[in-house]
Amino acid sequence: MNYHLLQIISRFGISLGFGDKSVKQVCRDYSIDVDFFLEIVNSYHNKNYFPKKQLQGFSLKLIIEYLRKSHDYYLNTKIPQIAQLLKQLSDFSATFTLESLHLIDKFFKEYKNELSVHIQREEDKVYPYVFSIEEAFLTKNPTQEIVTCIRNYSMENYENEHDNVEDKLFDLKNIIIKYLPLPVDSHLSHAILFELFRLETDLRDHARIEDKVLVPKVKYMEKWILEHFTT
Amino acid sequence: METIYVIIAEMSQLVRMGLTGALNQMGYPLNIREITDVEKLKIALQKDHKRLLIVSATFLKTCPPELIRSVVSKPKQTCLVLINDINTGTIPLRGFDEIIEPPDIAKTIFRKLEKLIQVLSMPKNVSKSVEEISAREKEVLKLVALGMTNKEIAELLFISSHTVITHRKNITSKLGIKTIAGLTVYAIINKLIKPEEIK
Repeated sequence: MNYHLLQIISRFGISLGFGDKSVKQVCRDYSIDVDFFLEIVNSYHNKNYFPKKQLQGFSLKLIIEYLRKSHDYYLNTKIPQIAQLLKQLSDFSATFTLESLHLIDKFFKEYKNELSVHIQREEDKVYPYVFSIEEAFLTKNPTQEIVTCIRNYSMENYENEHDNVEDKLFDLKNIIIKYLPLPVDSHLSHAILFELFRLETDLRDHARIEDKVLVPKVKYMEKWILEHFTT
Repeated sequence: METIYVIIAEMSQLVRMGLTGALNQMGYPLNIREITDVEKLKIALQKDHKRLLIVSATFLKTCPPELIRSVVSKPKQTCLVLINDINTGTIPLRGFDEIIEPPDIAKTIFRKLEKLIQVLSMPKNVSKSVEEISAREKEVLKLVALGMTNKEIAELLFISSHTVITHRKNITSKLGIKTIAGLTVYAIINKLIKPEEIK
């Protein structure tokens, strides 16, 4: 049993206590697209399984809904949880290591802000843009308005500004592993590291869906719209 | 592991016994001495080794201030613990590595003492990782941590921006830290810069 998947199914809104119901039944109970659910879960379960084509076949609404839920999970579950652990680490440490731990706390807060800004930009700017592209594409209605929209902001811009939020996370892990001034509670620091590694993996999978599924799909639509637009 | 000397300076036999018992249970190689008067403490402190000094506030009142000051002035050598057995206000609660309060439960006391024993038992050369980066790299790191640009650093150190970039690449790969904020945290932890130096 891969217990890491529990956090994925909770992201779909499925709570525990599903008894012996089949995946299909549970998905029906929660009105989840069962194929989409399976592709996502499988891609998390097996790192080598990434059904790019199948995933691209799902509607953007479905994909973005999932991305939004992950965002919510990072900001409202994972980050507060790590912040809480870091706080415990300071609470349980000798007075003279406190200064360094406060630095690390501060560093984590900076990371949190960076991540929030990143997520906010996607939700406020990128997703609405993606929806308008999808609508124009599906209704086969490439208007002047949408073309202007693409000229002002396209997926290419998104790729360029899709900066590395992972860098700070990478640093934080190394600082804790290599440079944390002793003594600190090693159980707690291990727990923190474990959470940081998990968050990192999760973010990487998340970015993979954005880069390999969302971006190509929208780019394809952008191209179609530009080609079929006649003045 | 090196034996750690523990001095318990405390009038109450009961407290001394309790602490000695608790410390012995921790499983570290400890050499514990119980002391009840200032003269004996003076003699005990003359020896120069790593130690944990646990002193009660009542005992501290009988000590000349310079005695404790001389201990505190050699950090890393002595960890100072106060047993706060009287109403403070008379004793400034600064300079102590840990303070044991009367309401502390056994677990808390254990934890406070164990942390310090761990510090004392650490090998002397703690900042070994700093030595992995060269003196010049350390200099560059310091300036980066202070928020200077490559160009500013190049001008200050009379080297080309290109060289600064090479140094920075090496620093990042040696330390495993990519961001400026991360390097700043590293620099402060390793005492290359002071927190108040950052703009």
